[in-house]
Amino acid sequence: MFRNNYDNDSVTFSPQGRIFQVEYAAEAVKQGSVVVGIASKTHAVLVAIKRNAEELSSYQKKLFPIDEHTGIAIAGLTSDARVLSNFMKQQCLGHRLTYGRNMPIRNLVEQIGSKAQNNTQHYGKRPYGVGLLIAGVDNTGPHLFEFQPSGMTEEMQAFAIGARSQMARTYLERHLDAFQDSSREELITHGLRALKESLVQDRELTVDNTSVGVVGFIKEGEASYKVDPFKVYDGQEVSVFLEKVSDSAEGGAAPAAGGEAEGEGMEVDS
Amino acid sequence: MTSIGTGYDLANSIFSPDGRNFQVEYAVKAVENGGTSIGIRCKDGVVLAVEKIVTSKLLKPGANKRIATVDRHLGVVYSGMVPDGRHFVDRARDESRSWRDTFKTPIPTADLANRMGSYLQAYTLYQSVRPFGITAIVGGFDSELELPVDGEVGSGPSCGAGGKDTSKKHGGPFLYMIEPSGLYWGYYGAATGKGRQAAKAELEKLDLSGEGISLEEAVKEAARIIYVAHDDSKDKEFELEMSWISGADGPTKGKHQEVPKALREEAERLARKAVADEDSDEEEEAKEGEKMEE
Amino acid sequence: MDHRPQAWGRPRDDIYGAYDGSYLQNSGPKQATQSPVVTGTSVIAIKFADGVVMAADNLASYGSLARFTDVKRLRTFHDNTVIGFGGDVSDMQYLDRLIGEIDIDQEYELEQLPDREAQKSVELMQASNLFTFLRRQMYHQRNEFNPLWNQILVAGFDDEHKPFLASVDLRGTSFTSPSLATGFGAALAQPIMRKYAATDEDAARLTRDQAVDVIKECMKVLFYRDARSLDRYSIAVVTKEGIDLKENEQLEKQSWAFAERIKGYGTQTV
Repeated sequence: MFRNNYDNDSVTFSPQGRIFQVEYAAEAVKQGSVVVGIASKTHAVLVAIKRNAEELSSYQKKLFPIDEHTGIAIAGLTSDARVLSNFMKQQCLGHRLTYGRNMPIRNLVEQIGSKAQNNTQHYGKRPYGVGLLIAGVDNTGPHLFEFQPSGMTEEMQAFAIGARSQMARTYLERHLDAFQDSSREELITHGLRALKESLVQDRELTVDNTSVGVVGFIKEGEASYKVDPFKVYDGQEVSVFLEKVSDSAEGGAAPAAGGEAEGEGMEVDS
Repeated sequence: MTSIGTGYDLANSIFSPDGRNFQVEYAVKAVENGGTSIGIRCKDGVVLAVEKIVTSKLLKPGANKRIATVDRHLGVVYSGMVPDGRHFVDRARDESRSWRDTFKTPIPTADLANRMGSYLQAYTLYQSVRPFGITAIVGGFDSELELPVDGEVGSGPSCGAGGKDTSKKHGGPFLYMIEPSGLYWGYYGAATGKGRQAAKAELEKLDLSGEGISLEEAVKEAARIIYVAHDDSKDKEFELEMSWISGADGPTKGKHQEVPKALREEAERLARKAVADEDSDEEEEAKEGEKMEE
Repeated sequence: MDHRPQAWGRPRDDIYGAYDGSYLQNSGPKQATQSPVVTGTSVIAIKFADGVVMAADNLASYGSLARFTDVKRLRTFHDNTVIGFGGDVSDMQYLDRLIGEIDIDQEYELEQLPDREAQKSVELMQASNLFTFLRRQMYHQRNEFNPLWNQILVAGFDDEHKPFLASVDLRGTSFTSPSLATGFGAALAQPIMRKYAATDEDAARLTRDQAVDVIKECMKVLFYRDARSLDRYSIAVVTKEGIDLKENEQLEKQSWAFAERIKGYGTQTV
């Protein structure tokens, strides 16, 4: 009988140089519902599908504001995400207190990266079972980062993580060129369309299961800027965004960038 | 790998009967899967370069840097597990900072290599940790000039301290490579990661230990070597990232900096041409192939 | 005679009496710095239309002794900020090293940008951010009952790229004004500077040359009346183009004629 001896903890390398516990933690991310993030020259948006345990229960939060200039979307273990989110809030506050400015997003992301990496190198710890998309603006403009349980953090133009996120990523890759110059509304629309691609058959985006988060970068003169603070839209607030991507709206005039194969042609659930 | 499956490879710090620590060897395997990194120590500086495999179109081009500045005059590049590399960089920065706190002067490259070697070695000693899944290349330029001590605000007495041997040469470019075991050597040309064999073969062709080559030549060679070491069949796309460090009178004024875009692009153009020429030479030995594709 | 090893090299008890080791006992409350040791005197600064001018002489006194005569008390940060230190020189050196660390942190941040051109165009940490840091540092130290014995002026620009000038002292007290002076300068130079720039509006009408002249005039007055001052000084002008720092200036056109008319103290007998 085959038994993998190398996957019991995160301090054991396999003969191929892999760490299975970390790879398994990455699987936990795929169990979470899908979240999508896109950045343009002026904005960074996050959109997410919320799940509810049963018909009458509330929906699990997917977007968390961190500071005025940044927020996160999560996929995986929500309780792990909350630990990271609290940590990020503290870091941002600390930075604001000592330097009187928005903490640079990459700084922030690398801090949680280091924290997560530490969990993969010491016995008795386990990797975080959550993936994050971090959207934010700082003195260098809007940013979108992906965070993985391994501690890997990378800056993306657009990305999706969580269950069936591959379909969303395919959508994002197809429309990549449009994002840079997209407006705030166009960016949200793209995000929601990408989200739709990942939906299970018969499911649709509703005001109950959809969250939208936006943060903006307003350039002022040569080198100074203002922040359009990170804001999360839930419930009825998202209906305006949803209307633009409803099947009927898409059927008629598919707006702006490449309208192939949208609305129709939902994938079969696996 | 005779002892595989006999249980000696299941935990770090355990010796097998033939005196090996398998977990460290497995960590080296993680390095061998990573994108190629190289370092060149030349006459008037150091060049670091890395092949960054583009794993997704959605990555922001040019944004995810793999070469890190540790102190103003020190740079690090690594192959293997990137989060481990970040850990390495964080620690190296802490070391150089604590050195400054104590000695009020920048840490010499050799001392940083020594401290980081010790740090990595400590991660091979205990079952409660795993070794680093990276090999790091540390490049630095220790100042040849007498630097002001950190926090120095005046010149003090106008007569000198005396007794100084002015004929002695101080500082210069240095390059070290540190392995997961904590082992490190000084190098003229160092390579690690996927394409290290090809890269080493190319580095050995350069005259680095004798006459030496200039910094600008080294930038071009580094680009070419990364292109040669890149395996088209396995990975399609990659980004080249390069940094350099010169002395106080050189282009970077003693600082570790990214190679300017224009110079890097020129080096890449030459590298692509060199690789294309080589390929066509191999394909048709006799003919003077004028096949210029890309 | 006592030949036991512990008595070797000690003054003989029978002649000098038993050794008084009481000073080695630290009884009573723990004491930190009670007073500065090697000190710098005034720092003065005034805003003008496109920046700020600051000056301080090059003397470090040991009590009333003019101990070091080429001490540079104006430090620069990132080519956009000048920091002037009055008070304890070794505490200034400590702060200078702290600022050096922040400078290296900034370099870590900058190198993440796509290329060197992008690095040049990005908004770096400004004088206002560095001032926030210094203010926190000074207040923190005083809360530890171990103050850094300085009064500090910070000049440069704020987030909105307007000229910035602020002061913080060993108690963590901070404020801003169109013109500022520390030490003796607060009494002797401040009234002169206020004549030219009582408000920010006044300061905005001053030209660079006018501001430099006011500062030079003040430095002269300070040298006349402050016995811990020197006629060699440093002067820095910070504008958007960068910092123009001269560290070995000589007071010009001194006239000591007024001294003869001073009566009532000193060695005069009339």
